[in-house]
Amino acid sequence: MLPKMQRRFLSSVSVSAGGSKTLNNGRWSVKQVKKSNFKSTLDEIRTSIDSSDFVALSLQNTGSYAAAWHRISAIDTPQMSYLKAKYAAERYQILQFALCPFSLRGSKLTVHPYNFHLFPRDELKLGMPSYSFSCQASRLTAMAREGFDFNACIYEGISYLSREQESASKFLSGNPILAEPVAAPSSPSTVADTVFVGRIRSRVKNWRQSCLDSSSKTGDDDLVSSLRKLVLGSEQYGSRLCLTIDVCSERQVQLILEMLTEFADDVVPLLIASKSGGTQAVRAVFMSSKEDMDRFKRELQDLENEENRRLRGFREVVDLISSSQKPVVSQNYLSDFTSIHAKFLGPLPSNVDDFSSSLSSAFPNVVDLSQFMKEISPLSNISNLPAAMSSLNRFFAPVDVEVANQGCPIKLDESHQMHGQNAVMISQLFAKLSTIQKSDYQSSVQPSEDSYALASDQHASDENVQVWSKNSRRVSSENLVFIWGLAKKMTASTLKNVLQKSHNVFAQEFDVKLLDRSCAVVVFWQPSSSETFLSAVNNEDQLLGGSLRVMVAEGLRAAGYETYKRACRLGFWEADLADSLDKTLESSDTDLDSDTKPSEISWTSELAINFDEL
Amino acid sequence: MRRHKRWPLRPLASALARSRFCSSAAAAGAFPLKHVTRSNFEMTLNDLRSHVKAADFVAIDLEMTGVTSAPWRDSLEFDRYDVRYLKVKDSAEKFAVVQFGVCPFRWDSRTQSFVSHPHNFFVFPRQELTFDPPAHEFLCQTTSMDFLAKYQFDFNACIHEGISYLSRRQEEEASKRYDEESVDSVVETEDLKLVRLADLLFSERMKKRFNEWRSALLHGSSESPGISSGSTESAETVFYHMRPALSLQGFTSHQLRVIKLVLRKHFGDLVYIHTNDKSSCSKDFVVYTDSESDKENLMKEAKDERKRVAERKIQSAIGFRQVIDLLSSEKKLIVGHNCFLDIAHVYSKFVGPLPSTAEKFVASIHDHFPYIVDTKILLNVNPMLHQRMKKSSTSLSSAFSLLCPQIELSSRSSDSILQQRVKIDVEVDNVRCSNWNAGGKHEAGYDAFMTGCIFAQACSHLGFDFKHHSESENLAQNEKLDKYINRLYLSWTRGDIIDLRTSNSNAENWRVSNSKYENIVLIWNFPQKLKAREIKECICKALGSTSVTSVYHLDNTAVFVLFKNSELVSNFLKLKQQLESDDGPVRILHPLSKILKGGNTGAADYDAYKEICSSHISKILFADQAETVGVKSRTRPNPKGETSLETERRENMVAVTDKASDLIDAFLANRVDVKVARTN
Repeated sequence: MLPKMQRRFLSSVSVSAGGSKTLNNGRWSVKQVKKSNFKSTLDEIRTSIDSSDFVALSLQNTGSYAAAWHRISAIDTPQMSYLKAKYAAERYQILQFALCPFSLRGSKLTVHPYNFHLFPRDELKLGMPSYSFSCQASRLTAMAREGFDFNACIYEGISYLSREQESASKFLSGNPILAEPVAAPSSPSTVADTVFVGRIRSRVKNWRQSCLDSSSKTGDDDLVSSLRKLVLGSEQYGSRLCLTIDVCSERQVQLILEMLTEFADDVVPLLIASKSGGTQAVRAVFMSSKEDMDRFKRELQDLENEENRRLRGFREVVDLISSSQKPVVSQNYLSDFTSIHAKFLGPLPSNVDDFSSSLSSAFPNVVDLSQFMKEISPLSNISNLPAAMSSLNRFFAPVDVEVANQGCPIKLDESHQMHGQNAVMISQLFAKLSTIQKSDYQSSVQPSEDSYALASDQHASDENVQVWSKNSRRVSSENLVFIWGLAKKMTASTLKNVLQKSHNVFAQEFDVKLLDRSCAVVVFWQPSSSETFLSAVNNEDQLLGGSLRVMVAEGLRAAGYETYKRACRLGFWEADLADSLDKTLESSDTDLDSDTKPSEISWTSELAINFDEL
Repeated sequence: MRRHKRWPLRPLASALARSRFCSSAAAAGAFPLKHVTRSNFEMTLNDLRSHVKAADFVAIDLEMTGVTSAPWRDSLEFDRYDVRYLKVKDSAEKFAVVQFGVCPFRWDSRTQSFVSHPHNFFVFPRQELTFDPPAHEFLCQTTSMDFLAKYQFDFNACIHEGISYLSRRQEEEASKRYDEESVDSVVETEDLKLVRLADLLFSERMKKRFNEWRSALLHGSSESPGISSGSTESAETVFYHMRPALSLQGFTSHQLRVIKLVLRKHFGDLVYIHTNDKSSCSKDFVVYTDSESDKENLMKEAKDERKRVAERKIQSAIGFRQVIDLLSSEKKLIVGHNCFLDIAHVYSKFVGPLPSTAEKFVASIHDHFPYIVDTKILLNVNPMLHQRMKKSSTSLSSAFSLLCPQIELSSRSSDSILQQRVKIDVEVDNVRCSNWNAGGKHEAGYDAFMTGCIFAQACSHLGFDFKHHSESENLAQNEKLDKYINRLYLSWTRGDIIDLRTSNSNAENWRVSNSKYENIVLIWNFPQKLKAREIKECICKALGSTSVTSVYHLDNTAVFVLFKNSELVSNFLKLKQQLESDDGPVRILHPLSKILKGGNTGAADYDAYKEICSSHISKILFADQAETVGVKSRTRPNPKGETSLETERRENMVAVTDKASDLIDAFLANRVDVKVARTN
């Protein structure tokens, strides 16, 4: 049934799409979506997603990493890679979200490319969606070189709220909201409570009586009715009568709501929020009839939905992708989805397992293209899409691209038309790869298991890390030692020479790699060498002499992998790795009760003993 | 006359910056403002130099990408001056300057008016130097970006075409790096050994070639002196610094290293030279020298040239800082409006990292900007001007329209009152004009112009007679201004004034009663929804009804509690610690338990607040910030808060009210016994 519908849709679209198939020079026309045309495009996007088998996406962020060592590297375990990605996702802002729902039939790739311009607008002045964000000057310069239009982005970008922010803002948007029905009385009341309730009850009673009176007899002249209003503190809420009761604590709110259940037949309580987040007042609204009450509740609900929709903004699209359950293809799983999680779902959890489970509840099927690529062509570098594409030329895998959604109404030759091409290329690359792999995704409606395996593949091993990306060799993280505080700048090879002469532990095979200009990592291929070296550096007295002693005297420091791990976990993201490691070592004795899961706490206690010995 | 950079109105948002640079049609009556981007920067700088030299004072204004990196970093009621400085420092370090208005004012005795030259510089911290500089990042506050957008700020002009800069410190570091690099290139060749066969063959080949070339040179042979070996690599004879040389092209860097080695080993009179020219494309030469001294000379010349090229590169990367250097070296009177943050930005962007304390900042700023005057101070501190402001707001725009209505409306009416006002003309690109429409507010160039106008008018009210003002007289040293010069609002809302005159003792001028801060306790991470009043009640129950003077919210997660005296501060902290180490019922019954509920509540004295503010981390919520900075270790309890048990017990004992305070005292007295009972 589903394929049939798709076919029908496609045929109708290809007629209307007409000449907008491809642009010359191999560029596709991508629909640019901004604040002004967002609402009108939403339905079109929904159909596009529903009619496609996959969704490709690509993000344009204001930065990627602040310092060389913040980059995810081969020595990182999945947890550390996640922490690095998390740090970046929380700081930088997504400015463009390119989305390309696509389906693959044989060699025919049908794409629906869109490019959304985003900008976080703090419309409620509450620091949501974000209070501030970081920009990497070099990244912005590079974007400018590509012709990025920052004015369009900031003036016309679509705002959004994450799922968590939306539920938090419900109370803060200033609109009165319907009070939740009260369950059983919360707790025995004090004398003060009883007095308070009694006072309010009589006030409500009087007011309600007057409402009943005024609705029955209409003969009152204006003066009398307005006088009555003045005396009773009665106001109008829309066309209905209401009474606002100021409160000064949540306890009072509770008491009033409990009391108002006595009048549940014709009085509906609303909560008025104060700026600081609590409840400022309870408003009792008088209903003239049962139907009136239903109508009122419906109106209120509609109002709330409309308001939420407005605040949700672009997240509506993310929700569409999520609810469609279509497999999502991205170029870089970790950095893209940490960003998406942080901006559109909620705050990122502190460890990678929680992240995976939280993410998979929203996006159950995620395809990591770089992982997929590695299977087919292990040496290719995915970060450059055109290069990755041409590296696959040796395979025969023809893919015809057809753009199924209409291009934007803007003239095709305009420069910003080119934004959002990456998502199309990702879908194209994916199509090529899956053709090569001969995996027939076409027949299966739910290609989930394969693709999920791809995504979760990188969580396979925790303690072993891959050392050099090319010519890889697995090594236990215990065999890595970080050294810093070298007297002068050296290249990796000169440093290796220097080390070789410094201590007999280096008589055996070892490797050196610079992580940034301040710090290098030494890989020992003999299991216990790292310990020997660490204890040698950290117990100066035991050093019998030689150049290692001189180096230590000149400021050389060394630490094991645990320290590096802790630096990431504690969030010491200094510009130089050396500074971060120094800070971590300093903090080791004061900060052991960090917010980590139990298994890691035992690690930290081990560490504490370790560092006491040092 | 060049006037192609005069933009008409605030450009349309949707159009691209590039296309706008070409437009030259000036709409009639628009406020004349010189927009400066990197394309016309050098040229404008030359003009600006003469304008600043001739100026009586220079007004400045800055537009930034944000002001506070977290809500609690805003100026708060309980901010001591040192904390306030830390907050300003944080802001200046984190946010970028995107627009810099500079407007020199000169009194023209011929026309009896001031001539102003408003410049609007687009600034962007682009990285111009090729070597690995520290990754530059800046923060954007979303509300500030929205604010800029509201006033049609042109982000494309800023990012695409903004002028870059280096601070003095960055310049020093850059030249140091270039020095290091040149040293490196000398050392590098020493540990190269010829092992591979290809290297050996190559070195032999080159040896032969160089020998041929050298003998051809020396014996004046008619053979073609160049070397061409058929492949991509080639060497042709050229002259390098008046000496015959071979220009090497198409060799790999490894081959060049081998060549270097060959030359050092076998040719005493041939020297290898590597140069970088402006466009950073490198060239390699083999140069013939006829003596040892000539060789030394050559090496020195080559080194000097490398240095010159590097210096030129750094010089061009300095970019916008040349304007700041100009203002600083001319020692002109700088005029700003509520400009402490502006000055802090100028310091951190163009001088170096901001000093850690306000005192050090004051000591240092004087060397760079000896005379700064803040028009906001002038309008608020001078009683006569203050009265003239008629109690209206002293914001830039309202002060401008109140003090200088004739300029704002550009009316040259014969109204006698307006006639008394200071006349101000605007000159841009040698075109002088005295009629215009109001310019765009919150555009740095126009804001600087307004600030200057306010200052000129205020001076006239103070009794300056510009008409008899001699050229040589320095406005900055005029005694009428003496009271106001070099005093800035550290915090406008609190009225704290910072005195930049180093000769004065600063402490006297801080409007501070230090004792007050000793009475403050900071509490964070208390149960949400607890309001200031409830917190006050809780503490009053525990420490006496008059113990707390006031409670003030920092944000939703933290409060300042002002106690009556400092003794109560330590009492409170001690009591809190005591309660937290106690698992018995006292913990639940005690009035403070309402605040401590949840087991995460932190509390600390005012010094901790300062420590938290000095951290370069900025979490949005104060409680998160306090946890991250790690002040928690001072007061935080054991993480084993048995919350579930606690609430259970609490439900059993809800009936206890105020009257139970006697009971609590009894509990406190028997605390040890209770503990023992429990452990048994």
